[in-house]
Amino acid sequence: MPCFTFYIFNRKGACQYYHEWQRLKPVRSGAGSQEEDFKLMFGLFWSMRALSSALDPKNPAKQQMGAPQRIGDGCSFNSFRTSAYKLHFLESPSGLKFVLTTDPSVGSLAEALQYIYASLFVELVAKNPLYTPGEPFLFEPFSAALNKYMRTLGLLS
Amino acid sequence: METINAEIFTLTYGSMVRQLIADYEDVEEVNKQLDKMGYSIGQRLIDEFLAKSKTQRCADFRDAAEKIAKVGFRMFLNVTAAVTGWNAEGTECSLILEDNPLADFVELPEQLAGLKYSNLLCGVIRGALEMVNMEVECTFVRDVLQGDDANEMRLKLLSSSTETYPFKDE
Amino acid sequence: MSATPAAKRAVAESCIDYLTLELVNNYRRQLQGPPLQAALDAIGERVGRQLVERYAKERPPLLEQLDVMKFICKEFWAEVFRKSVDNLRTNHRGTFVLRDTQFRWLTRLSQNQMPPQVGQPLPAPIPKAELAADYLVLPCAIVRGALAGLGLEASVTADATSLPQVDFTVVVRQVAAR
Repeated sequence: MPCFTFYIFNRKGACQYYHEWQRLKPVRSGAGSQEEDFKLMFGLFWSMRALSSALDPKNPAKQQMGAPQRIGDGCSFNSFRTSAYKLHFLESPSGLKFVLTTDPSVGSLAEALQYIYASLFVELVAKNPLYTPGEPFLFEPFSAALNKYMRTLGLLS
Repeated sequence: METINAEIFTLTYGSMVRQLIADYEDVEEVNKQLDKMGYSIGQRLIDEFLAKSKTQRCADFRDAAEKIAKVGFRMFLNVTAAVTGWNAEGTECSLILEDNPLADFVELPEQLAGLKYSNLLCGVIRGALEMVNMEVECTFVRDVLQGDDANEMRLKLLSSSTETYPFKDE
Repeated sequence: MSATPAAKRAVAESCIDYLTLELVNNYRRQLQGPPLQAALDAIGERVGRQLVERYAKERPPLLEQLDVMKFICKEFWAEVFRKSVDNLRTNHRGTFVLRDTQFRWLTRLSQNQMPPQVGQPLPAPIPKAELAADYLVLPCAIVRGALAGLGLEASVTADATSLPQVDFTVVVRQVAAR
């Protein structure tokens, strides 16, 4: 049950962190440019959220598709599954977006993403004096802790 | 949350304020510096607050003010604040801090009458709320250290922005 | 003075983390204005003196140099830096090396290895001692202030080559008048 890729986006749509464990053709070696990949990923969950809000049968206020939303407005999605992979998604009220792609057979990782946010991102990134909020980062202790946690979850051998 | 004896924090804060006064020799400038530092701290601290309180969303300004007062102050400073003095539009309120840990051991001499000693807190609130897309103004309007009967921060919502798609459609 | 005795008051440890990191970053950002080192020295020294003044009320005076150092390594360190010093060495001529293998205030410090632009090579590693230098000024000054408060005039420097291990070197200059 492997994990494939992991992204953190800031609220302005910039990718702050990217890691790939498994990707048949790594982005770096030419599966489109890395920027293009980030943009596509951002567009994917942005649209997913807009669509799922617009179609929300439990919301009496009819949201127009593409109407401006505040962070956390409307409904959000936690994951979706394709025949090839599953995408797990967590958005914080501060607009940080955590995206993890795994094998489609993996169960809910909502709590795992929350843990990554609360214990790894907050402790090893936000509290690192050399981190600038909103800026891209690559901190070895964070990457190491992320890998270790993926192994604990059995997503990485 | 891991806790520490407040002494080291309170004394470091006090010593820092003293240094700012010595370095800038201008109380207004010190107030500005404290606000600026708080703002940077707020931008960092917001995620610890949101993640550890498991806050899913800040529905509106009213809700955000309540969360700061009841959850935020408790989480970091181990005190709570009261939210009062709402205006009719629901865009302005006051946070009353009965017990201000930053002010322990502090007495201000008369020549520092204009000093907003705990102004860092206003900056933190402003910085943190900006990260959830709420632009606010936050100022100390009453301060026990200046002889007032309470600590009151006035919080005013300037704008609350929506998310915009950051890329141009091709 | 507030109603609750401040000695028993607790706040989140994050408060001191955020405050000390912003203290350094803020002074660093000022291109003009007070120099970082001088400001942090003054801030830390005052804090160190005030802290030992408070602790000293509860304990008999320390007369011997070694007793002072032991107090700094155990009680003081535990109070301020959340654990005791792991190892204390001395040449018996006024130089002491205090080794903290997990110096709490800097455990989260690490270099941002993100290249300035996607696809560019990783930046060269910066030596840990260099990364940590500015963030060690304040703790060194706090220790120096504490020693001064206990009657020892000393210089305090720190070596963070093996971060998170930090070696603090204390060189006692003279015994100050109490």
